[in-house]
Amino acid sequence: MNIDIIDYESCSAAGINLAALRVSLRQHKSGLIKNDLPDSALNTWIGRVEQVDAIDDLQQWQSRNNALAALGLEQGAIKQTLANLTKKYGSARIGIVMGSSTSSIDRTETAYTDLDTNGELKPKFRQPLVHNPHAPSLFVAHYTGLTGPSLTINTACSSSAKVFATGARWLEFGIVDAVLVGGVDTLCLSVLHGFNSLQLLSENPCKPFDQHRDGINLGEASGFAILQRGTENTNSSGIRLTGYGESSDAHHMSHPHPDGLGAKMSMTQALQRAQLPPDAIDYINLHGTSSRANDLIEGRLVSELFPRTTLCSSTKAWMGHTLGAAGITEAIIAMDTLKTNTIPGSMNLETLDQALDFSIQATDQQRVCQHVMTNSFGFGGNNCTLLFSRVG
Amino acid sequence: MQAKELACKIVSVGAWGSYFANWDELQQLMQGSDVGQTKNVGPKPAVIPANERRRAPLPVRLAVESSWQATQAANVPPESLTCVFVSGLGDTDLTDYMCKTLASEHKELSPTKFHNSVHNAPAGYWTISTKTMSAANSVAGYEESVSLTLLEAMIQCESENVPLLVTFYDAPVADVLQPILANREPFAFSLILYPASADIDGTLIRANVTYNERAPWPQLQSSNEYIAALYANNPTAKILSLAPLLTQSFACEDVVKMPLSKGTSVTFQRSQGRV
Repeated sequence: MNIDIIDYESCSAAGINLAALRVSLRQHKSGLIKNDLPDSALNTWIGRVEQVDAIDDLQQWQSRNNALAALGLEQGAIKQTLANLTKKYGSARIGIVMGSSTSSIDRTETAYTDLDTNGELKPKFRQPLVHNPHAPSLFVAHYTGLTGPSLTINTACSSSAKVFATGARWLEFGIVDAVLVGGVDTLCLSVLHGFNSLQLLSENPCKPFDQHRDGINLGEASGFAILQRGTENTNSSGIRLTGYGESSDAHHMSHPHPDGLGAKMSMTQALQRAQLPPDAIDYINLHGTSSRANDLIEGRLVSELFPRTTLCSSTKAWMGHTLGAAGITEAIIAMDTLKTNTIPGSMNLETLDQALDFSIQATDQQRVCQHVMTNSFGFGGNNCTLLFSRVG
Repeated sequence: MQAKELACKIVSVGAWGSYFANWDELQQLMQGSDVGQTKNVGPKPAVIPANERRRAPLPVRLAVESSWQATQAANVPPESLTCVFVSGLGDTDLTDYMCKTLASEHKELSPTKFHNSVHNAPAGYWTISTKTMSAANSVAGYEESVSLTLLEAMIQCESENVPLLVTFYDAPVADVLQPILANREPFAFSLILYPASADIDGTLIRANVTYNERAPWPQLQSSNEYIAALYANNPTAKILSLAPLLTQSFACEDVVKMPLSKGTSVTFQRSQGRV
């Protein structure tokens, strides 16, 4: 594969842009806070992006999810990079692939708390372009002015990892000359109370892979990356997408396969596509949600597939599990290690789960990485693994 | 780089709606037959185990029913198929349930309803029921769901060189959201695609993307009011515009052009004869 990442930005509770995220990572400064979402009394911790609250001028596009996408698109050089590409290729030759699980259901929730006396939607909530699962891409197309094909992937927590696979295929077939891939997902009552109903939320800051982990924290995030064919880009960041794997568990809607067969398949596929042996992988950003079952299965698989020289961490203790935006957030953290040469430690890890034995530790490590990997696993048994490499 | 022409074979079709239980019955309606006296109740796809089927929401049952029909008609093992599922509107009944519950005093959600509310629930039920471990994508494209997903499926079929199940489905919209999302009819439609080089009978379809223009959706040639309303209001029923390419019995149109995005369109063309 010959797909280059020419720009990327991340927006989460750990930092509203990449520069701030890097600082939080280095300082091990978590963005998690005690749940203070209005109308939710759940005793848990969340990763809320405070700056989103102020964005209330989106009119017919207003939703918290769209506001978080807009905030993300204002960071770094993303808008300028898109403007340069649009000038070169025209807006119709640039595609959009967004991943999300909630889309704008936050807005639907709000609309239902404020129905008129007949039980109908008030005029300000009559937003067909917002109350549908394609809303993130429709909004990003509107906000950026891009007019090429735009698709939304909604495979729960693997959504914004899979956008890289779809975006890469579009580029390889020349359907577009550049593609903006991304993910955006928002804290709302549906996800908080939904995960609570599954008894998956922790009352404490999450501790991925720790012996005493007791559940997940939810967060919100947006993130974007711009992809181009490697032969044509003019602004390489020095990072290439070299592999991806996509698979299904075929097991259960909300429990992972006990032997992680689907996850194993997605990791193996990514290696095969990149034509790399497992020992070539310097770092894996794990899915690592801090749930009892998921971490155990993923940790066992990694120790089975990779040598001790492959360093691993989960970064969910910084911003929580950002669901449909977790894939892009963690892809960015993984690929950024190719630039910073610093592998983030697994924050909040005190005692590794006694059933596990692989290269994970709480402290950062310095290494010039050549190849890094990230895992994303979602409801419905939907798995995606991405592999990024240093160019040259 | 110029966009490559895509090519793949359509090997079989599955379909389900209020007045048709399969692709043959749908073709008869499109050719002018009257709708039956009684509406079909929701489909009961045999491939989902009975205890799971009882809890499966309508969009899941719609999608799995037509997927199973297409897989059976193609006579291929379901686990050999990579899949792409699309709904333009999602499961608005479950959105309605969750939003009503969360707007009330007692915010406890049913765990089963919550996990069924994810957009990829149909893909999940399909892969679990058929033991399919291949990639399962679940996408949304609102009004352009059909054109975007056909393109996505053809690209995936050709680039990964794998057979592919693509399923389009949308269920009636919950009352509160009806004023903005008008669909009142259930619809599901599935295609099995194979790479053009595969040694299997099928209709060869070529696809080309065109730029800086947005084609309108084709007018559907149907005197049947039910079909006309379905086509107008159910985003995934826009796949019916592809029908002329799927059956020789329709008028001799060999080219169908659909809008893809604000600045692009996609043209599907049937190659002469069966290959």
